[in-house]
Amino acid sequence: MAPPLKPLVFQILLALVEGERHGWALVRDVQHRGGFDEIMPGNFYRTLRGMLADGLIEEAPPRDKAKAGEADERRRYFRLTAAGTAAAAGEARRLEALVLDARAKRLLTKRS
Amino acid sequence: MRLTAAAYRLLLRAFPAEVRRDFGGDMAAMFARQVEEARRERRSVSRLWWRAATDAAVNGVGARLVSPKPAASYMRATGDGTTPAGSRMRWWVHAFLQDFRYAIRVLRRQPGVTFVAVLTLALGIGANSAIFSAVNAVLLRPLPYDDPDRLVTVWEKRPAEGVSDNVVSPADFLDWARMNRSFDAMAAMTNTTADLTGSGEPEKLSVGVVSPPFFDILRVRPMLGRTFRPEEGIVGKPRGVILGHQLWTARYGSDPAVIGRTMTLNGNPIEVIGVLPASFEFPDEEIDLWGVLQLEGSPQPLSRSSHQFDVYARLKPNVSLEQARGDMERIGQALQQQYPESNRGHGAWVIPLEDRLKGPVRSSLLLLLGAVAFVLLIACVNVANILLAKAAGRRREMAVRSAVGAGRARLAGQMLTESLVLAILGGAASLVVAWWGTAALRQLAPRGEPILGLAHLGLEPRVLAFTAILSLATGVLFGFLPAWHLASQDVSASLKDGGRSPGGVRRRLRVALVVSEIALASLLLVAAGLTLRSFQRVLEQPAGFHVDRTVAVTITLPPARYRSDDAYLSTFEQLEERLRALPGVRAAGATSFLPLSGRDGRRGVGIEGREPTPDTPTRAHPRSVTPGYFQAMGIALLSGRGFTPADAATSPRVAIVNDTMARRYWPGTSPVGRRLKLSDSDWIEVVGVIADVKHWGLDAPVNPEMYFPVRQSLSGTMAFVVSTGGDASPLAPAIRDQIRAVDPNLPVANLRTIEAIASGSVASRRAGMLLIAVFGALALVLAAAGIHGVMSHLVALRAGEIGVRMTLGASPPSVMALVLREGTLQALGGQAIGLTGGVLLMRAFRTVLFGVQPADALTLASVAAVLLVTAIAACAIPARRAMKVDPVTALRSS
Repeated sequence: MAPPLKPLVFQILLALVEGERHGWALVRDVQHRGGFDEIMPGNFYRTLRGMLADGLIEEAPPRDKAKAGEADERRRYFRLTAAGTAAAAGEARRLEALVLDARAKRLLTKRS
Repeated sequence: MRLTAAAYRLLLRAFPAEVRRDFGGDMAAMFARQVEEARRERRSVSRLWWRAATDAAVNGVGARLVSPKPAASYMRATGDGTTPAGSRMRWWVHAFLQDFRYAIRVLRRQPGVTFVAVLTLALGIGANSAIFSAVNAVLLRPLPYDDPDRLVTVWEKRPAEGVSDNVVSPADFLDWARMNRSFDAMAAMTNTTADLTGSGEPEKLSVGVVSPPFFDILRVRPMLGRTFRPEEGIVGKPRGVILGHQLWTARYGSDPAVIGRTMTLNGNPIEVIGVLPASFEFPDEEIDLWGVLQLEGSPQPLSRSSHQFDVYARLKPNVSLEQARGDMERIGQALQQQYPESNRGHGAWVIPLEDRLKGPVRSSLLLLLGAVAFVLLIACVNVANILLAKAAGRRREMAVRSAVGAGRARLAGQMLTESLVLAILGGAASLVVAWWGTAALRQLAPRGEPILGLAHLGLEPRVLAFTAILSLATGVLFGFLPAWHLASQDVSASLKDGGRSPGGVRRRLRVALVVSEIALASLLLVAAGLTLRSFQRVLEQPAGFHVDRTVAVTITLPPARYRSDDAYLSTFEQLEERLRALPGVRAAGATSFLPLSGRDGRRGVGIEGREPTPDTPTRAHPRSVTPGYFQAMGIALLSGRGFTPADAATSPRVAIVNDTMARRYWPGTSPVGRRLKLSDSDWIEVVGVIADVKHWGLDAPVNPEMYFPVRQSLSGTMAFVVSTGGDASPLAPAIRDQIRAVDPNLPVANLRTIEAIASGSVASRRAGMLLIAVFGALALVLAAAGIHGVMSHLVALRAGEIGVRMTLGASPPSVMALVLREGTLQALGGQAIGLTGGVLLMRAFRTVLFGVQPADALTLASVAAVLLVTAIAACAIPARRAMKVDPVTALRSS
């Protein structure tokens, strides 16, 4: 089995499942989902760079300005690759297995 | 916002260029938004900046070390198998331990290299720890008094004369104490000696005489009994004494019943009222005994012209130093108006006690610390060189490790671990050097002028912590280069060529190391050379008297037993006569103030035909001497006559002045036959001029001095000087016997050769000079070892090239010349940097120099010559080896 994903990697993958995003939107998504203190640019972009190199994500072709509604045309968009989707799914399964285990040991009570 | 982004781009410098290129704009924009958000939500922006800085440092360096590789592992997202051991933290610890064990194995495999590296580091770190222990004991340790920041010294200042540290007259002190609004209390202090008699051997004690609040100001509580009470400062009240802890243990066997007992000082009975704790330290002198200064309620008006007191005070809680200075300025003005005659141009100057006590040694200690830091830097460069050389031999090993999956970070970590292990070993071994060094420092410390805190010199916890931190920092410093280098090289290329190619970058790096090493060594040698020259200059200073074959002993006749001037005189003269009659003695004489003894006095003097103005006051240092003194000391008479026994109490008063006084107060003419006047005397005729005598040290300027015959100007304390034809020291027992014969109750203290006194006066300069010379020598040896190591290695790497050259017809001598030329060029380059740096450095430390300019040509030329010769000698062995390269073998192996 692959090693567990770093939480930030997993979160970024999750955020991208909904569609392509640019960096800042990703940061906001991840932060809204919680679990992270403030994400700093160095850490964030280094993680992105690693994910690009690992082939988990790829850069989306630039969009036209009107559609993005943003002034900054240098902005770069990212989207999931097949490997990224697989990795996210794998991580989700791994976590699910852990959660099930925790539940079986009555660490968690069913809430819904 | 634009500004934020621009500032953030500076932080981006931590990242490799490609990251900046790909993501820099996005990162800056992201951070700008974060700052904007933080402002909106009123969170701390500076905290955000701090986090951004650490973030940039961690991830920037991380990105440099670990470049992302396509990791196949994520692709295989499913399936089972083992996960790498536990958490990331555990993985790192595991990796570190593995590296650590491996490092030890590697170091043990090459015991010679390891030994040299550890020894180099031990010397460098140990020398630093030793000097730091002195800095720690003297400069960093707070003064041993409660709330020391509030303690000040108040001097008399005379701006017109450029004096800001003069001692204070009794009347001025009392006025200052009464009029100031800034101090809790103010106390005067002066030093004297007293003869302790009665029980056991008579003993000369060093006495601190202080006004009553002295111990309250320092907040010292007595261990037994009490300190002085305010009313004891009034003239006529009974006086008690307080024993120093040392005297109490040595003389009274730590008897607690000593309080209330009577001791006989200078023939007077006096009550012991207290004993000071062992922890009490006082810098000026090792004072045995404390007496009380009685100034208040004096029937006669106190003097404003006789300056004699050190003044200590404690600032009131809410008063700043500046306010106190303003306050004392006001008082100084008031006293000037009230007493224009004595106080014209005089003021008061407040300085923190700490500055006064630590100031004089600060620059010497800092210079030493700087020098020793350079030694360590050279040691680091050497070890870095050794590691680089080793790394070169291990490129293949690294390549193999890399090929089987070790990342660059891991390889660099391995190198760094090795250097850290070396540094830790070096640090541990350095403790021996440091221990030995502090012991040597204690020996070197000048005896005559105790430095507050030097007693605490030792391997204290703070020094040990310093050593530990220094060792680790050293390890990172010298390990960083090889590690960095490794991380940036193409490992697979090494695998292909078998790890032999020298590589341009590596070569340049090593040459840079050699050059910097020579630069550091020459800088240090410039400092050492200039200090040495200063010391030489000081010793060359004419003392004005015979230093060798003369002994001196100081005698104080207690007024309680010697009640008349005649009693004094006849005892002194009898003693002088007896000393002169000793076998082997050529001359004997006595003076009230022996040169270089640290004792002195100064008086205002009237010069006939010359009006003193506030800008040109006429003052001179008075000495009472016997007729034989000048001859006994070997002081030359320049004109006029010396004193004779005929210059008696009843005959007209006469004086002899020194050359400086003659030139200053009778410029262009001879003072012989002219007259001078003291405040309490009639006109006194000047009958002679003697050569200048160094009174305050060989390196101190000479002041105007006036000599009076002892019969006309009696002193209770006289230093007897006995000169002999040969070695003077065997005379000591005979001198002791003669003193006992005159008065068995006189303690014989300070019986020393003039040579010892003179050498004591340059002790601190000698200590500094010795230390810096040792560091210079150490630097030279280390630099030579470094140059030798690098050149050997370069020759080994270039064996192939040399082989080719020789095959093409280069002669062995020309090959040797090639290597030597290279070494010489590097040495010259390093010297140019080092000599310039040395001159600039010594400009900053000009105060420790004497009679020599920072850009002293002789020093610079000698340093350059010594280094060049050393560099060439260090290159000679590798050069010979290059000459002996067998072209066939060299070519075949490459």
